[in-house]
Amino acid sequence: MAEAERGKVSFFGYVLRPMMRTGKQLVRSLVLGKPNTVLYPHQKLVLPQVYRGKHTLDFKKCIGCGNCVTICPNDCMWLEKLEDPELGKIERPGVDLGRCLFCGFCAEVCPTCALHMTTEFELAGGDRESFKLGPKDIRDDGFAGSFKEERTKRAVPTLDLSKCTGCEKCAGECPEMCIAMISMDKVGRKKPEINLAKCSSQGKCAAVCPEKALTMTEVYESYFEMPQPKFVLESCSGCGACARACPAEVIYMLEMPGTEKTLKDGKKGKPKKRAVFVLEKCVGCGRCFKVCKFEAIEMPGVSK
Amino acid sequence: MNLYEFCNIIIVWLVDLVNNLWYWLGDFLPWVFGDFFTWAGDLAASDGHIAAMTILLEVLVVLIVAIVNVLNFIWLDRKLSGRIFDFYGPYYVGYRIGGWLQNIADGMKLFVKEIITPKDVDRLGFVLAPVIFVSSSFLILATIPLSPNFGVSTNMDGDFVAAGVLFAFAAFAIAPFSILLAGWSSNNKYTLIGGMRSAAQMMSYEIPLLLVVASVFLLSGDFSFVGVVDAQHDVWFAIPLFIGFIVFLVCIAAEVEVTPFDLPEAEAELVEGWTTEYCGMRFGFFMMTSYLRGYAGGALATALFLGGWQGPALIPDEIWFLIKAYCVFVVIEWMRWSVPRVRVDQILNLGWKRLMPLAMLNLVIAAALKTMGWF
Amino acid sequence: MWINMGPQHPMTHGLWNLRIKVDGETIVDAEPEVGYLHRGIEKICENRTFTQVIPITDRLCYGSSMSWSHLYCRSVEDLMGLEVPPRAQYIRVAVLEMQRIASHLMWLAAYAADLGMMAGFIYGMRDREVFVDLLQDLTGSRLTYNYPRVGGVSHDVPPGWDKDALRACDYMEQRLREYEDIYEGSKIFMMRNVGVGVLKRDLAMNLGVTGPPMRASGAKYDLRKDRPYEAYDEMDFQVCSRTEGDCFARYRVRMDEMWESCRIIRQAVQKMPKGEWRVVAPRNAPAGTGVAMVEDPRGEGMMYVVGDGTDRPYRLKIRSPIFVTVSAAPQFLVGYKIADVVAIMGGLDMCIGENDR
Repeated sequence: MAEAERGKVSFFGYVLRPMMRTGKQLVRSLVLGKPNTVLYPHQKLVLPQVYRGKHTLDFKKCIGCGNCVTICPNDCMWLEKLEDPELGKIERPGVDLGRCLFCGFCAEVCPTCALHMTTEFELAGGDRESFKLGPKDIRDDGFAGSFKEERTKRAVPTLDLSKCTGCEKCAGECPEMCIAMISMDKVGRKKPEINLAKCSSQGKCAAVCPEKALTMTEVYESYFEMPQPKFVLESCSGCGACARACPAEVIYMLEMPGTEKTLKDGKKGKPKKRAVFVLEKCVGCGRCFKVCKFEAIEMPGVSK
Repeated sequence: MNLYEFCNIIIVWLVDLVNNLWYWLGDFLPWVFGDFFTWAGDLAASDGHIAAMTILLEVLVVLIVAIVNVLNFIWLDRKLSGRIFDFYGPYYVGYRIGGWLQNIADGMKLFVKEIITPKDVDRLGFVLAPVIFVSSSFLILATIPLSPNFGVSTNMDGDFVAAGVLFAFAAFAIAPFSILLAGWSSNNKYTLIGGMRSAAQMMSYEIPLLLVVASVFLLSGDFSFVGVVDAQHDVWFAIPLFIGFIVFLVCIAAEVEVTPFDLPEAEAELVEGWTTEYCGMRFGFFMMTSYLRGYAGGALATALFLGGWQGPALIPDEIWFLIKAYCVFVVIEWMRWSVPRVRVDQILNLGWKRLMPLAMLNLVIAAALKTMGWF
Repeated sequence: MWINMGPQHPMTHGLWNLRIKVDGETIVDAEPEVGYLHRGIEKICENRTFTQVIPITDRLCYGSSMSWSHLYCRSVEDLMGLEVPPRAQYIRVAVLEMQRIASHLMWLAAYAADLGMMAGFIYGMRDREVFVDLLQDLTGSRLTYNYPRVGGVSHDVPPGWDKDALRACDYMEQRLREYEDIYEGSKIFMMRNVGVGVLKRDLAMNLGVTGPPMRASGAKYDLRKDRPYEAYDEMDFQVCSRTEGDCFARYRVRMDEMWESCRIIRQAVQKMPKGEWRVVAPRNAPAGTGVAMVEDPRGEGMMYVVGDGTDRPYRLKIRSPIFVTVSAAPQFLVGYKIADVVAIMGGLDMCIGENDR
């Protein structure tokens, strides 16, 4: 509308022009088609796959790392100790939907994509307790297979340090030069350290490994920088609590030759052990830091 | 057979039935009350009593018809507005009959709600205002006949209340008084402003309205509905008095407080205006009565301008009248959902500067037509 | 007579109180009272990691949550010195403009309801659904999207989404013509709007009013053009402004912005480059400050974040455009009628969530 005509509407504009417009809509929804409403309990909208509704958890994929618990902005998740006939003693997260923001960070941060959010949105309940869903309430082992993954996967070499002999063949084979052999203090061996950012997933290192210590596995890419444990060798007592607590098999207890104590009968005892971290596999949950009683593991940004 | 005769038959039959009881009681208890029962029976059978009872029954029938119409109107309004707004409107309650029972359900809900009288209200006015509003609105309907045979008449010939149109408009104009009363007695700033707006608004539209009605009287030469409608036998007054018809519709819209002119209960500004403090069935009365007044407005427009019950004899006269009234109502409601609300100074401008000269012009046209002998 | 319009009043669009002093129907004084919806979001954010704050900033405004979480992410990117990949920038532009249309449509609907035009209310809300559905297909939520991330966006656009977006733009332009008919074609609407609530240019600038109310007063100031962020400098669009400064000018500026937003969405979707949509953001921010300003649908939003080397913000300051606009409201309310209050305050597009924080 031009500036000059501002405020000047024809005589019909009192009621007739708007009435013509609404009359067109009347004809459109009465004669030509149907109204726009979705008659809710009888018809339901088709929700997209990415819709963030009620949570579901794949018990077999979940490793119980508790990253979802850590990242939840509202502290509405918790880890629960369970006794499963198939999986043994495990820890799995539960969620309190009464406090949930439905932000989806828990599903996004999950390193194994075990936690998903479904399109189920009818979550009304009678009391606050009914919103507290334990791990068994949200368990759905088949769910992850039932739809296409949104998150990108890639194959990266993962190291089983207990089999590794430190032969350096993988480092020589790598076309991207992303494997460096790092010597482990007091263990007397070297271990390959893989720069995953440069890795092009060609699998040559895994093919050449004589001990099958390197295998190509598919992992989900994560855009969250998680805290990483820093190891202080001097404080480590070799108790192995961190290795038992680690959900991702990052920590290996290796013997340190030369630290054997001489026993009373002159024989040498078992050597002391130390923890070795394969940080490529680390999910940053901080459980090793929490269980370590000797302050041998530091983790900035995580509270005990 | 007109409504009076029909009611008369029923009343005579009922009086006979009851009189049998009186006379039987008189026979049964002759020693003390015999004379009394005989006297009462004779009184009941007297002409005056039967006429009075007949008129009361007529009023009852007319009111029941009116209330059923109001329920239809509310349903029609909701359904129509729903389709205008691109949704279904009432749907589930009474699914088979298009959600018609939704009104009944709403009425029941309002009925079981607690009626709260706020602490500091002027109790007399607060209680009296809905009564005045509802009763004056029903009063309008008592005089509007749906056909020469269907209306409140006073004798066998079916003569209606003399000067019925004047009476209807007089009853129509009582409502702003009750609105002002409700607004004042509620002891709330919003209701007060709403009541004052209602009074100001009445000033602006009542005069053009009555001027237009005067032009109708001028053409028809009669104050009664039958006379006015009969005068439209050849041509509806809406055609020669087109300007007057438009002015009349606008004024009726203001009278029944639909959206361009619903200043007293402006929902976004004054919460709900003068009905703010009312709840439960008192509010339900206001709600129902506003639609009742819509029905009355449609019926008046039909009778005065659209030829009343006249139409091809395929369908009965009463149905013709209702169809026309519904059409007027639909147009008013359609306008209601399409346009914004005007401001209080703008409605005064509209009333005095636009509608008033148009109404005068309309009166001049009517006078000219009458003088030239075309009516 | 002092009248409390609020805290529970259909005019308020939220939870606040406007006390007006009236002489008859004319306003002689006005005084806004805010703070009923204070949730302490700035303080809550200090106890969350940088990632965890994003869904909290979504809750700042129910009408435009995308632009607020995006603003937060921008301020943290400024603090961390991150460069957002170009694809993420284009996705952000597209979703921000969709959010702008959805927000403006919600304003339009509420404005029509304020003026008593029920058809306009329903139509605005109905067509907002189109864009909300579009954003839901992309982000997975209808109102609080939680889509932008520090260093990009949460995930890539799904296949076919760009075609849906173009179709939605076509639909919207068709509807906008209808709106112009139903609003501007109505004489009563013009009577209620033209010359009501006039805010002069100098006063608007002195009071710090931003966004559509300021552009309606004649100041051609739009951060998308004046300090381009994301990919806005590669988009071809115009800054919509009027000179009158009344309610109708504000209405018209918002309608024009919806037209422009449709253009921007088209360009952003069609020109969207391939590539990464997210970079990994560091967990800990360096000590220092980050600040970002964006053109929110309601005005100029600003966030100022202080990092102290940990993974949590030391301080987060939110500059809400509506807070300033509400404070300025008494300056141009005086002298009009009670019925104009709803038109004036409705024309400012109130959102109390971001106002009280």
